[in-house]
Amino acid sequence: MSLSNCYNFDDFRKLAKKKLPAPIFHYIDGGADDEVTMNRNTDSFNECDLIPNILNSVGEPDLKTEVFGTKMDMPIFLSPTAMQSLYHPDGDKASARAAEKFGTIYSMSTMASFSIEEIANLSSGPKIFQLYIHKDQSITNDLIDRCKRANFNGMCITVDTIVAGNRERDHRTGFTTPPKFTLDSLMSFAMRPQWVFNYFTHKKFELANLKDKVDKGTNIAQSVMGYINEQYDPAMNWKDAEYCIKKWDGPIALKGVMSIDDAKRAIDIGCTAIMISNHGGRQLDGSRSPFDQVKAIRDAVGDKLEVILDGGVRRGTHVLKALAAGATACSFGKAFLFSLGAGGQQGVERLLQNMHDEIRRNMILMGCKSIKDLDESKIIYRR
Amino acid sequence: MNLKDCHNFGDFRKLAKKKLPSPIFHYIDGAADDEITYARNTSAFDDVDLVPNVLRGVENVDLSTTIFGKKLDLPFYLAPTALQRLFHYDGERAVGKAAKKFNTMFGVSALATVSVEEISAMIDTPKMFQFYFHKDRGLNDSCLERAKAAKFDVMALTVDTITGGNRERDLRTGFTSPPKLTLSSLFSFATKPMWGINYLTKGKFELPHLQDFVKEGTSTNSSIGSYFSTMLDQSMNWKDAEKLCSQWGGHFALKGIMSVEDAKKAVDIGCTGIMVSNHGGRQLDGSRSPFDQLAEIVDAVGDKLDVICEGGIHRGTHMLKALSLGAKACSGGRLYLYALAAAGQAGVERALNQYKTELQRDMKLMGCTKISDLNRSNLRFRG
Ligand SMILES: Cc1cc2nc3c(=O)[nH]c(=O)nc-3n(C[C@H](O)[C@H](O)[C@H](O)COP(=O)(O)O)c2cc1C
Ligand SMILES: Cc1cc2nc3c(=O)[nH]c(=O)nc-3n(C[C@H](O)[C@H](O)[C@H](O)COP(=O)(O)O)c2cc1C
Repeated sequence: MSLSNCYNFDDFRKLAKKKLPAPIFHYIDGGADDEVTMNRNTDSFNECDLIPNILNSVGEPDLKTEVFGTKMDMPIFLSPTAMQSLYHPDGDKASARAAEKFGTIYSMSTMASFSIEEIANLSSGPKIFQLYIHKDQSITNDLIDRCKRANFNGMCITVDTIVAGNRERDHRTGFTTPPKFTLDSLMSFAMRPQWVFNYFTHKKFELANLKDKVDKGTNIAQSVMGYINEQYDPAMNWKDAEYCIKKWDGPIALKGVMSIDDAKRAIDIGCTAIMISNHGGRQLDGSRSPFDQVKAIRDAVGDKLEVILDGGVRRGTHVLKALAAGATACSFGKAFLFSLGAGGQQGVERLLQNMHDEIRRNMILMGCKSIKDLDESKIIYRR
Repeated sequence: MNLKDCHNFGDFRKLAKKKLPSPIFHYIDGAADDEITYARNTSAFDDVDLVPNVLRGVENVDLSTTIFGKKLDLPFYLAPTALQRLFHYDGERAVGKAAKKFNTMFGVSALATVSVEEISAMIDTPKMFQFYFHKDRGLNDSCLERAKAAKFDVMALTVDTITGGNRERDLRTGFTSPPKLTLSSLFSFATKPMWGINYLTKGKFELPHLQDFVKEGTSTNSSIGSYFSTMLDQSMNWKDAEKLCSQWGGHFALKGIMSVEDAKKAVDIGCTGIMVSNHGGRQLDGSRSPFDQLAEIVDAVGDKLDVICEGGIHRGTHMLKALSLGAKACSGGRLYLYALAAAGQAGVERALNQYKTELQRDMKLMGCTKISDLNRSNLRFRG
């Protein structure tokens, strides 16, 4: 199996599984507890059907849309994800370059493997930064200032990760603090010498944005769950978010909003957008899926916010359904991480090309000339 | 396994799988993207139950129905499908003769492998010509004039294929242009020598309706997907359809209507029928199933034109359900294609006979003696 055989999510996932050591694959692939929410995120799209209109002289449909004050050539972008150099040595560099090529947004995680400055120097494409609010306010302030200097277009504050989720696959593979690799998982490293070779011959693993501030930034496993639990502020509240919004003073979203009340409150504190998300089912299992919730939230906030649907998106038709139900745009994490693991920048480009083609093809089949033609009249929820 | 072991849809499918090289089998058997719509087309029937009436004196059952001004002995007909001589060397000849024997309508595709002239010389029973709207207007006129001269009774304009669907099975098997046969598909041709011998010895493979206009017409190698995307006119609109309708001057249908709004427009431009259809799930995955959408369309236009429920039908009871909701007739492709591949004309006849027997039996069990006895009081929707 190679990249040229990858036509869809499952194909990229399979190839990534072949290439990545098991603990790392399962860190991407797994969700919280029983993974009920993770699965529902995708399944929920199947309870809603598209209704095409015919004979509409569609010609070439226009896929452009705008979020975070930024024009995008397609209505889906890359969600922020931690430690991308674990999946491919080029990590964030690969995804940022691929996103730029397709005219869409690359999002940088607080826990990215390359620094704000490195990525800004490398790509002039649209970029947003994902901010975790730290107990130590000077860290948070520093991150915001650096993003400003580096001309990031927008920011999102993740609000669903004040404590680490229970990812049981990580317990089993030993992707924990401290790492407890089992015989099986050690074997799986041994059987992927290419990965191990890359890991030791490329830039030392680090949390590039944080390394000067905290000493935890250099150990893989310590850096995820341990970092979340030690550094993030579980007492974070609306005031803290408002403080960051004011300080940033540009397009900004709360990432991880699920309730209608919270969506309305996001307007009050000055957000320009929200990302409806349950962190890809990696945090609170049993949480509602973004697609199940998007219509109600859009109805409540009207046009006062950009609404981004984040989670479970695998197909162009999922994007069309999300937009018809009220989303401004979508974002996806796992899907592009598998393509990154499968083939680095080339992999992400192939995925974005597939996604672009699917959206375009299905817009044509729907009889839609532009994104704004996708409205509620185009979908029916099953009984 | 052979023909006499075939008792239902699944059996014919199994036998077809045994007889056909895998790229060809999967071309018939496959659908778009994740094949969610394809599966739903059939499973939609399971969300509604039949409620029989007893003690009605049901000795003689009349299955006849009238559509497009033609009386058919069966309440279903054979939907137009492309390339039938790839499935069995007799192709349209086999299907047409079987249709004649049961006095039902034979749908002939624009991409048929036997000409309208030959078919019309062969059978005098009702015939439908399925029209694709090409960029090349000369080709369009030629198709229309030839179908008219050959005394076809109905013209159906397919409106759900302005671009090719994403049939991933075809990508994998190499059923593409140029053919990208994989090792396993080559192997599958080699292990089905009868198919290969017949293909090479039973007359040249051609697309008689297109071949004077395009080089694609003479080669089976060009993919159907690229034919749709490069030769059909994506800017086709209601004006074009209206013009075609009056140019034809007889019974005219739009094939692939899904929205109520479009069904009403079909009435306005002079159509005498519509096929509620998503092309057997082969185009827009995530599209609603015909049966799910049927009632709304019948309510809106059922008294003004013939509404046909097309796709997903595997059983006589599926037809009874659609007819009870108000469809004038049903139609399907795979319901006869597997049988064609399994055993040519004898196969199609066996399949048609089974549906007929099922319909007769189930009509009696429902307490109905004629199609017009079926109505919504026979149905209960679950949940
Ligand atoms: C491996 C992995 C790492 C992630 N890291 C972060 C992160 O650092 N910050 C964050 O806000 N979200 C993070 N997420 C969540 C994504 O931003 C996004 O919400 C989620 O992946 C969407 O669901 P999807 O994977 O089904 O598309 C991560 C997700 C994955 C799969
Ligand atoms: C192998 C195959 C070829 C087809 N070719 C055509 C075609 O040339 N023109 C057309 O309008 N529809 C075509 N169709 C769609 C059928 O007319 C019909 O809409 C579909 O088969 C209904 O779904 P069913 O197979 O579940 O009954 C084709 C379908 C199949 C399975």
